Amino acid sequence: MKPLFIIAAARTPFARAGSSLASLDAVDLGKSAVSSLLVRSGIDPHVVDEVIFGCVGQPANAQNIARVIGLRAGLPESRPAMTVHRNCASGLEALTTAHAKMCAGQGEVFVVGGTESMSQMPLYFSRRAVDKFTNLGKAKGFSERFGAMTAFRSADFSPVIGLKLGLTDPVVEMNMGETAELLAREFCISREEQDEFALSSHRKAAAAAAALQREVTPMYIVGKGVQPVLADNGIRPDSSMEKLGKLKPMFARENGTVTAGNSSQITDGAVSLLVASEEAVNHHGWEPIGKMVEYTYTGCDPRRMGLGPVRAMDAVLHRAGLTLDDIDVVEINEAFAAQVLAVRQCLKNPASARRAGLEEPLGDLPEAKLNPRGGSIALGHPVGATGARLVLTALDQLRESKAQRALVSLCIGGGQGGAAILERV
Amino acid sequence: MKTHLLESLVIHPESEHSDAPLKHFRLEVDADHWAWITFDMAGSSANVWNTTTLREFNHCLDHVVHDSSVKGLFIRSAKDKVFIAGADLKTLRSSAARKLEELIDLGQATFNRLASMKMPKIALIHGACVGGGLELTLACDARIASDSDYTRLGLPETQIGLIPAWGGSTRLPKLLGLPKALDLILTGKLLKPSEAKRVGLVSAVAPREHLETVAKKMMSEVEHEMPVARFRDRLFAPFIASKARSVLHHKMRGLYAAPFRALEVVRRAPFTSMAKAMELEKHAILDLALTPETERLIDFFFRKEDASKKPWPTGVALTVHDVTVIGAGVMGSGIAHWIATRGNKVLMQDISTESLGKGIERIKGLLDEGLKRRAITKQNLRDTMDRIIPEHERVPLNHQQLVIEAATESMGVKKKIFADLAARASNDTILATNTSALSVRELAETVPHPERVIGLHFFNPVHRMPLVEIITTPHTSDDVIATMVSFVQRLGKVPVVVSDSPGFIVNRILVPYLMEAVHLHESGVPAELIDEAMLDYGMPMGPMRLLDEIGLDVAAHVGRTLDEAFPGRFAKTSMIHDMISQGKLGKKTGEGFYTYPDKHSHHTSFSEADHHLMERVRERLGGLIGEEARRISEEGIARSNEDIELAMTLGTGFPVLRPLLSPSMH
Repeated sequence: MKPLFIIAAARTPFARAGSSLASLDAVDLGKSAVSSLLVRSGIDPHVVDEVIFGCVGQPANAQNIARVIGLRAGLPESRPAMTVHRNCASGLEALTTAHAKMCAGQGEVFVVGGTESMSQMPLYFSRRAVDKFTNLGKAKGFSERFGAMTAFRSADFSPVIGLKLGLTDPVVEMNMGETAELLAREFCISREEQDEFALSSHRKAAAAAAALQREVTPMYIVGKGVQPVLADNGIRPDSSMEKLGKLKPMFARENGTVTAGNSSQITDGAVSLLVASEEAVNHHGWEPIGKMVEYTYTGCDPRRMGLGPVRAMDAVLHRAGLTLDDIDVVEINEAFAAQVLAVRQCLKNPASARRAGLEEPLGDLPEAKLNPRGGSIALGHPVGATGARLVLTALDQLRESKAQRALVSLCIGGGQGGAAILERV
Repeated sequence: MKTHLLESLVIHPESEHSDAPLKHFRLEVDADHWAWITFDMAGSSANVWNTTTLREFNHCLDHVVHDSSVKGLFIRSAKDKVFIAGADLKTLRSSAARKLEELIDLGQATFNRLASMKMPKIALIHGACVGGGLELTLACDARIASDSDYTRLGLPETQIGLIPAWGGSTRLPKLLGLPKALDLILTGKLLKPSEAKRVGLVSAVAPREHLETVAKKMMSEVEHEMPVARFRDRLFAPFIASKARSVLHHKMRGLYAAPFRALEVVRRAPFTSMAKAMELEKHAILDLALTPETERLIDFFFRKEDASKKPWPTGVALTVHDVTVIGAGVMGSGIAHWIATRGNKVLMQDISTESLGKGIERIKGLLDEGLKRRAITKQNLRDTMDRIIPEHERVPLNHQQLVIEAATESMGVKKKIFADLAARASNDTILATNTSALSVRELAETVPHPERVIGLHFFNPVHRMPLVEIITTPHTSDDVIATMVSFVQRLGKVPVVVSDSPGFIVNRILVPYLMEAVHLHESGVPAELIDEAMLDYGMPMGPMRLLDEIGLDVAAHVGRTLDEAFPGRFAKTSMIHDMISQGKLGKKTGEGFYTYPDKHSHHTSFSEADHHLMERVRERLGGLIGEEARRISEEGIARSNEDIELAMTLGTGFPVLRPLLSPSMH
């Protein structure tokens, strides 16, 4: 495969929904990430051929959010922009779409990334309420209007929560948390194992705080006064098994094991990457921070969407002609602790591997290689942005440890897996 | 009535030439029998009134009147940015008294004739519609304005020592009522289309492309009628006028005659016969026009226009789009704000994220103020904020065309910053320093390629102060000067180019003046008395209050620099240093020569002896300003004496009417 070079990256702080970035929408966040990318890379915006951004819950007032972000960040009007959607892997999809376009001769330099404001996910009216509003709008004369108005019941005004809708699989009608509960049951993953995994995510992230901070551009939030938001705020260095143990299961009240503590956090944030073809890199004399050498997407059972990475990793390694041992750093998105632990089991254990659809297990994934700087359980998971953050984090680890190769993978709601192999340049 | 005399003056020459081809106008009558007069002055991007265009406009009116099929008249301009820019000031300035009187008569007669034509008349206004341009439209029955940014309406005559004398002083109060008309005429402010609609100056605002359609629809509703003054205004005129007079007096101390004269005309003209009103207007403008004061004001207007538009005579000016500002303090954020409001991207750098936060907060505050005054829209606000990128890291600057350093006023700090900038920027990035007194040359010589180093001295508050001193060193290249002159002009500011020398022009004159004021105060003259004396002199603010505004520490710093450069020349005062050591730095610390928040109510009354003392204060301080200006002129730091005067007026509010230096020979 023709490699896609990553030249520079920038991201906003990742902040728990409803906290320091809650006043910004997905456009503001994406705009900040792109502005910062342009400033920090010092490139002339005219060299950019297209903007490609991932966003799962696009704001209703910013359809094709990538275009809105591109214009507001000051990219030339003449440069087109498109938005991509592959659920939780939308941020990775932006990168791989850029690759596909590059290979098709449709551009050399791209600004890609992902953005999500989970704080500003919309509330909806129910279908029934919407019909009543429509009738009211059409009603003529007093009596018709009065009739239309009296048709409303108080239940019509209770909103449908967009965030909840988005996190529910429409085909199998299971909440994402319920798919994690299913994996925990089927692969015998205990509450303790999940909590331990979550605790370790927080500890690793706390230990790597300085390195994570390097990825972050401060945001200056204008409200009453201006508050600089300098760092991620999801990491809990004081987390403990005791504290995690107190949390109630969210998705299965009785005997459930998946809690808010061992799931990814609901978070606001955006990530932006400058990517280019080898020709463009040479032409501009850029010093890339890495390159993407292989990627793939695969499908699986939507009920067990958490296993997505298993097939995706198998496929991407196969395509690259590599084995798990050739990889120095593995980033698997921590949608749920149960889900990552299930994936690990499937990679190692032959029986589990067969259940996930592999003929042979890929091998053991040592603790030290997996998510060395913690993951979405500690940092949060702004769904549209995470895919791009994993790429950024993986490349920075390669740079720091002078290692060669990283693999990033995500489970994707709706029953898919995505994976990509990155190399240091 | 005198009208027949005027008519003879107008009509007579026409009947001889009425078949002469039109040079500056187009006249069409469409299928619906509407007549269209389009003003398109030959060989110019603007339309202005002079004897020729007024006469030709009269020819057009002849045709319209003689064509009995015409049911109504539309007047429009063919220019992209100008409807009518008023009277041709250049001819006006050089006219002899008799010529001027003829021009006034001709304009009055023409617009009166238009007003009394028995058909509906609508003006379609796109672009600047000022002075005599607006007076033409006031003689129409309705006005429609385009929503373009070029469209501005107003009567700025009083600002150049004149009054609206082609019926404007009579018709505007009839249309808007006395208070609103006085506000427009006495301040000379220009209204945006939306504001013009709000005060009732235009009846509709539409996109430029729709003006014709809207006007045609409106024609059926417009009735030809002569507006009359409001009864209420007639009743309250003395009261309204006396209030306006006291505001004027407070603002300009009787130094400028035109607004007071305009006030006298506007309070009487609407309530008398048209012929009498025209006489009032004409006498006032003839009295005013030929005075040296008005000539100075008109000359100043042209100098300012020149400085705002003329390119630097040598070198190639590049267009600057993106700017980096170093420092997010009061000056840095003020500069960043202004540059961003003019559509440029600004990278605002400061090593402290806290300072960046405060800088962003100040910028947001300025924009919020603009939003409240309806000077900008919410979208303008968001776009401006979007263009400003705060960044504390040492990011690459190699693609930046211009970096403006606005850090602490310390040569040591500035040298360090410039070394860092030179390392990060490319060799042709212009490096500008916003110093108010430090040597730009000394700074330039510490970096490679000193030819791209220049001083850009913005004044505080940046969004209000029109002047930018551009400081050149012997190294600075002509291309860099040309680029900066055009950049400052594009920002809507007035550049004055000055050679590097302590204090440049404005601070070199201003700071010794301030120090002398402190010296006087130290020797026993009360601060209020000094300030009162200089307000009467024509300064917009007294020196003691100005020191409090600037900050005593800042002033003392510039004072020190000047003292080192010209030892023994300036007044020594220990008082200012005592006050600084006591933490009395002026307004920002709550106490300086006055205490803050200001009570402002203590209107001190002054005795005969006080007035005598004030006269001496004026002589002393005024003399000092003149002396320093002469020295600058002799040293050849400024390009001309006119530049020194321009800088003083725009940088300190020094009264235009006071001759500071004799004109330069060019």
